[in-house]
Amino acid sequence: MAHTDIWTGSDEYLCDTELAHAFHMSRVLGMPLLIEGEPGTGKTELPLQYAKSQGLELFVYPVGSKSNVEQFVAKFDHVKYLRDSQIEILNAQREEKGLSKKLSTGGRSTEVPDDYVTHGPATKAYSIPHSVLLIDEIDKAPREFPNDLLYALSHRKFVMPESGKIIATNEVEMPAIVITSNREQELPTAFKGRCIYHYITFPEPETMREIVLKHHPKIEQKILDIGIGIFYQLRQLGLERAPSTRELLNWLKYVSHFEPKDAQQKLENLDGLGVLIKTQGDMQRVMNRIKSGFKVR
Amino acid sequence: MFETLPHHFRNFGLATDIRTLLILRKSMEKGLVHTLGDLYMVLKGIVVKSPKEMGPFSTAFYDYFLDIKIEKGESLDNAVLRSETFKQWLENLNHEERLDEENDYRDFINKFLDEVHLTTFDIERILRGEDVLKNDDPNMKDDNPQTEFDAQKHVSQMVDYSNISLEELRKRMEQVAQQQQSRHEGGSHWIGAYGNSPYGHGGAAKGGIRVGGAGGGKMARAVIGDPNFYPVERKEILKDDNMDAALAALKGVEEASAEIVLDLEKTIKQGLKEGGIFLPYEMEKIHQKIQVLLLVDNGGYSMYPYVKSVQKLFSKMKTRFAHDLKVHYFHNTIYGGVYEDAARFKFISLKKLLSLDKNHSVFILGDAAMAPYELDERSQADWMELKKKFKRIVWLNPVKQAMWPYTLTTQWIGKIFEMYPLTPEGIEGAVVEMNRVRKK
Repeated sequence: MAHTDIWTGSDEYLCDTELAHAFHMSRVLGMPLLIEGEPGTGKTELPLQYAKSQGLELFVYPVGSKSNVEQFVAKFDHVKYLRDSQIEILNAQREEKGLSKKLSTGGRSTEVPDDYVTHGPATKAYSIPHSVLLIDEIDKAPREFPNDLLYALSHRKFVMPESGKIIATNEVEMPAIVITSNREQELPTAFKGRCIYHYITFPEPETMREIVLKHHPKIEQKILDIGIGIFYQLRQLGLERAPSTRELLNWLKYVSHFEPKDAQQKLENLDGLGVLIKTQGDMQRVMNRIKSGFKVR
Repeated sequence: MFETLPHHFRNFGLATDIRTLLILRKSMEKGLVHTLGDLYMVLKGIVVKSPKEMGPFSTAFYDYFLDIKIEKGESLDNAVLRSETFKQWLENLNHEERLDEENDYRDFINKFLDEVHLTTFDIERILRGEDVLKNDDPNMKDDNPQTEFDAQKHVSQMVDYSNISLEELRKRMEQVAQQQQSRHEGGSHWIGAYGNSPYGHGGAAKGGIRVGGAGGGKMARAVIGDPNFYPVERKEILKDDNMDAALAALKGVEEASAEIVLDLEKTIKQGLKEGGIFLPYEMEKIHQKIQVLLLVDNGGYSMYPYVKSVQKLFSKMKTRFAHDLKVHYFHNTIYGGVYEDAARFKFISLKKLLSLDKNHSVFILGDAAMAPYELDERSQADWMELKKKFKRIVWLNPVKQAMWPYTLTTQWIGKIFEMYPLTPEGIEGAVVEMNRVRKK
């Protein structure tokens, strides 16, 4: 198997050991990796960065409330097919009347059903060896979607609609499949059973430093200390929506536009707090705490 | 191998079966398992399917593979300390190591956990990285304690400590430690944080010995005893910690489904325009989102303990259902209507309530306990009217189910409505019932 080395992250992405293990395991076993965890902990980043650093082809399927397996695998375009067959009739009629100019079907032929099959990301990923397939936020999908997916994923082959053509891959060449979920709804047990599961726990301050350094390598020591200090204090307040890694990075990005001294001042004054705090209620709570003497280090 | 594993893990509430064994065997064939630490990682990936299962999983793992029984509420350290396994392990440690240090037991537990959770990956990391050490003199004097501080604060390069034995690394570390005078951060020589010397932690060196803090055991230690990693008590009356499970169950009432149907009107219109060539046009069929009506009994002493948790649950729900959630209040039972506000000033007549769309999902929340004369014929008739109008209607009762038979009015109301306990499990049952009615 070609791409089953342990991958521990790149210059821009820190993949903690546990996640690296789970990802490695899923690739060795040829099973999808299901990642759950708080928003903003880098779930989606894993396959993106992996594909980027390894130079692999990446296919992304963002899941929404209207997702279905057809979009994901392949769809037969009945409308186009019917239009083309109508055009063929028209052309025959025109020929009868002695008109030489024909209407175009755009190179498609109704004799070849494959011309009307639109491939979804899954099919594309399966036809390219060692690609990476990301199914993002599967918890947003209608309930039947994960169950429909089950069959498609575990058999490593798709049958194209109408044409009956089979797109198959094998355990060695199959894409690395990563599925992310924010746990907005519980996924079917049978589905989870076919995945390697990993829950990303929130990084500790020490790991967080490394993550920040990956994104802002030139950050001032002092700013980093203060930023992370405040960030973890805010997380301990028991807010409705605790700030996540993504928000911390954005906040530090914001202050990095200023001179170090100003930046430090800005952090201590909690400038741009809106980047970290996302609901009105939380903001109120933080403000109350500040008024009642909550101090940042 | 491990035939008894599924049965054993099942006793801890984990869904393990023959498939678990098959995947485990495949993992072994593929060379994923060499050490106990590997086994922990691999099994975790196969067995654990939610963060709530990490606690039971670790407990089951320690019990099955190490014969370390972790009692409910006990810390991992304690369980390890009183186990036979640990005692034996201590005896097998070489004598010098045991005697010459004034280590307390914590250090030994760390060491024990490190060994338990040592993975092949860790070993590979430790066994790589000769080069850096070759060029580094372990007896270098620490004359200028802070010179390295600025040099390499950020993690810029990875260093492989290849083919160095753990023993050798440890020895060198001791040599360096003897020379070191101060705290160091960064750099590639001294023991400290964030550098790429092989000692210390949090740095970029790919291998190395951790100084303080068990590496692999850290996870297990963090997980055991933390309620976040244990299943929610689904039969308990609603509290802060099983609120989210209840909310998840409630989300089940919302049913959105993607469907594409033929747009008949547009197809005909366009077909006529095109002179009789009918091309089918499609449209997305949008299912109407669920509307929720919530009637809360907020009066009376008996409901008081539950009001807060109920309010919290539905305020969380409000963000979810946005405009489609209506909340009304009543005291014990209804007489011709309910109230719009919690203080029960603004009256809404039953007639108005009945004029709502019949597709509402109605939750009535109350203990259904009152004096029998309060639930008179008129009031019962009002409830019946509601039931007739709204097909999807359930009663959620915060009182323990076992107590229901002792209250006369609870039984009466139980005859009118399907009654469920206000627990995550009960709410789920109620939602299933509602969806069942809808499909009829």
